[in-house]
Amino acid sequence: MIPRSTYQRMLGWIGRITLICIVAFLILPAAVVTIAAFNDKPILSFPPQTWSWRWFARALAYDDFRHGFFNGLIVTAWSSTIALFVGAMFAFAIDRYRFPFKSLIEGILVSPLVIPHFTVGLGFLILAAQVGLSRGFAVVVACHVVLVLPFVLRSIYVSLKNLDQSYELAAASLGATPFRVLTTITVPLLLPGLVSGWLFAAILSFNEFTASLFVTSQRTQTLPVAMYNYVREFADPSMAALSVMYIAGTAALIAFATSFLGLGKVLNIEQTH
Amino acid sequence: MQAIPTIEQNEAAVRFDAVTKRFDDVVALNAVSLDVQTGEFLTLLGPSGCGKTTLLKLAAGFLGPDAGAISINGRRVNELPTYQRGIGMMFQNYALFPHMSVADNVAYGLKTRRVPKPERQQRVAEVLALVKLTGMERRMPRQLSGGQQQRVALARALVINPTVLLLDEPFSALDKSLRTSMQVELREIQRKLGLTTIFVTHDQSEALSLSDRVAVMSEGRIRQLGSPVDVYRAPTDQFVATFVGDNNKLRGRLLSVGDSDAVIELGSAQIKVPSERLAKLEKSAPVDLFVRPEQFCVVSANEPSAMTGHVVAQIYQGGHVDLQIECPGASRDRLLVRSAGDQAVVRWPMGATVGVSIQPGGCAAFPAE
Amino acid sequence: MTERPFLRTFTTPAALCALGFAAAMAAVLQYSLRAYVPGSLDPGGFTLANFADLLKPLYARVFFDTVVICAVTAVATLIVGYPLAYALVHIEQPILKSTLLVIVVTPLFLGEVVRTYSWIIVLGNNGFINSILLSLGLVEKPLQLMFTSFGVVVALVHVTLPVMVIMLAAGLSHIDRDYARAAESLGAGPIRVFLTVTLPLSMPGVVAGTTTAFAWTFSAFATPQLIGGGRVNMISNLVYQLGFASFNFPFAATLCVAGLALTAVVLGLLQIAARPLQKIKVH
Repeated sequence: MIPRSTYQRMLGWIGRITLICIVAFLILPAAVVTIAAFNDKPILSFPPQTWSWRWFARALAYDDFRHGFFNGLIVTAWSSTIALFVGAMFAFAIDRYRFPFKSLIEGILVSPLVIPHFTVGLGFLILAAQVGLSRGFAVVVACHVVLVLPFVLRSIYVSLKNLDQSYELAAASLGATPFRVLTTITVPLLLPGLVSGWLFAAILSFNEFTASLFVTSQRTQTLPVAMYNYVREFADPSMAALSVMYIAGTAALIAFATSFLGLGKVLNIEQTH
Repeated sequence: MQAIPTIEQNEAAVRFDAVTKRFDDVVALNAVSLDVQTGEFLTLLGPSGCGKTTLLKLAAGFLGPDAGAISINGRRVNELPTYQRGIGMMFQNYALFPHMSVADNVAYGLKTRRVPKPERQQRVAEVLALVKLTGMERRMPRQLSGGQQQRVALARALVINPTVLLLDEPFSALDKSLRTSMQVELREIQRKLGLTTIFVTHDQSEALSLSDRVAVMSEGRIRQLGSPVDVYRAPTDQFVATFVGDNNKLRGRLLSVGDSDAVIELGSAQIKVPSERLAKLEKSAPVDLFVRPEQFCVVSANEPSAMTGHVVAQIYQGGHVDLQIECPGASRDRLLVRSAGDQAVVRWPMGATVGVSIQPGGCAAFPAE
Repeated sequence: MTERPFLRTFTTPAALCALGFAAAMAAVLQYSLRAYVPGSLDPGGFTLANFADLLKPLYARVFFDTVVICAVTAVATLIVGYPLAYALVHIEQPILKSTLLVIVVTPLFLGEVVRTYSWIIVLGNNGFINSILLSLGLVEKPLQLMFTSFGVVVALVHVTLPVMVIMLAAGLSHIDRDYARAAESLGAGPIRVFLTVTLPLSMPGVVAGTTTAFAWTFSAFATPQLIGGGRVNMISNLVYQLGFASFNFPFAATLCVAGLALTAVVLGLLQIAARPLQKIKVH
């Protein structure tokens, strides 16, 4: 449609081929792991000679994966919900108010973005030992809250910035108390930001590995830790089968988020013109 | 009234020949044909969504037509990419490269043309002098005021001696006083260089004051193409009459149709209008009569043949006064009446009963819709 | 409205979180200054010996390797990620665009373990690449891809790519399209438009993306651990090994502190190098 010279069209084709190569690189591991998951033999071989579903059954029946999955759900539910409340309230406060130690607290809370997870994990491990806490769920949840909080803060802070404060002023001028303004105007208008912030936090928490490796015990290990331990000890395709389920589940969730929540907007990559 | 500038009838600088452009199911341009003459300042005027920006983008090559042909200086450019068209363009927000100085911005088009450095520097200096920005070469765009940024944008478009200058609402970001002086200045430079210019705007006063010719657009078509005076005084349809300038729409009856003139009855008044658009109508058919606010005359209430009404609002404008007058006998809407000077403020106070008469000539009439 | 309703209620939980995290980091710092008592989980007295130990060739080597791997990964991710981000921003068809978005974003949420495991299957001696090369007769024995820096970097690029693409795309999408149009109208062909307008204006995104890629790679554990298999060691692997194999938590903490200092220095240098770019206002 747009007038193009031959030279531009040639560049376009080079661009397309480059893009296809990069996308191939991106999806290669997922494709290969899918093939591997259906291989009937317990050792890796390409291409598989016979096919089967049995590794999926084995992965679903494997105790460590099951415990890891449910532990992960517990940790994720607690940590993302706590992070949502803490983050939403604090994002509101930093957007609206000046108060003592504002930038110090904010700085500490976003610093996990650049602090390696093994350092965070080690820190919580040592701290728990020092205050005499056993390696229970509390430590894992605390560690996850700190790790996902920067993402929640950012997501909600962006929504708050885009929120026109005059709605709140209008409600106040009509006689609404601050609490009423908050519950009837601010929170409903922020809902998309809150939902995407929570979803973001939940996915990150469920997948967090390095710090979890430090702070979980055999009893509290989450799914990624269980998977890591499995990979270190076994080489059969159960892990491939679990990975396939994992990839499919996550892709479905992302596709859902893309179409219903406007992921492009959440990630701030929509073209402005 | 200013004289209509004469334009030599030579080969069109830019020609649109039955150009159609669709966006999905929306027809943005419907078989539009338009010749832009060499050296003329032509304005595309219309409300948003009328297709004026699409037409400009087609000329620039940012879009390609679905049907029809576009040519620049006689050469078909449908397949020619933007960078080979030799156009100059000014954008709404100027699009000055934020990472380049004023001089680098202006020199950009010369670099792409591989103009040697000494000549490049000389031409940059010349064009900056033309737009009165000498001495600003090393500034960055964000250090300039809005008016200065616009001069840089103009200089950048001019320095390459474009075959045609395309202006996409370049004045909309300026405040009013600055806008007028920039308009005058732009027009002077354009005349001096004899540069073919296509100007897009939704502001009808801007279109009337700047253009050699105005193309009034609506819904993907050109509704009227003519000089500003033509478009203002002799609109060819109701859309143009309503869109360009203030207008009063009154329902009248056709009394008689002659070769050149027709007479319309409006209450007790009779108004003579050009007959060309009424020729097919039968006698006493309803017609829509368009009367400009300045064509009304406020007279005393007992004047014969004047419509009677009373003043419901006074809008003092300094140089003139706008009166809103309710005339139940003539129109359901309030009449907008413009009175030069400011005597009207005292003479026709709120609530006063007045007569309104219509000065002969300059009204437009169409078959009733 | 009162002056600052809910201020105390809204800031207290966050302040507590910050306090908890600060305490955890203080614990690391404190341990880094304590002596290691072999055979005991409790640390000994205060000492600077741990920091002196950092200079031992064994540890200095790991630091050096880590920085090299992070730098190579960050640059490679930038090179691979830029075309993808560009396509993501400029593709018009909605279906193609959201498909690409899902392909790019999904790995971000898969976690390091699943992605690293997939790469083991791709790179292993019986893995995908070697099976293809062997069956095509291009090699006689399997290429050694596992347990090499190359393998680790390939997998790390894959791990870091989504976040790089998202940051680049955020930068690119905020460049007004009229800049490129203006350059075209002035006679610039596609490559010139890219080099003189799009690329310079996207530099803030490039800096942000490279910085983040560096920090993420620095934080990676499972990838160097599983694909490096002990032959490619990064600081993270050393910390884990010291903590959970020798229970030398004081020295593990010292490595963490030194790692943080190193990250700070590298990222600080990047910021200083990028300072001229911060002046570019894209809007």
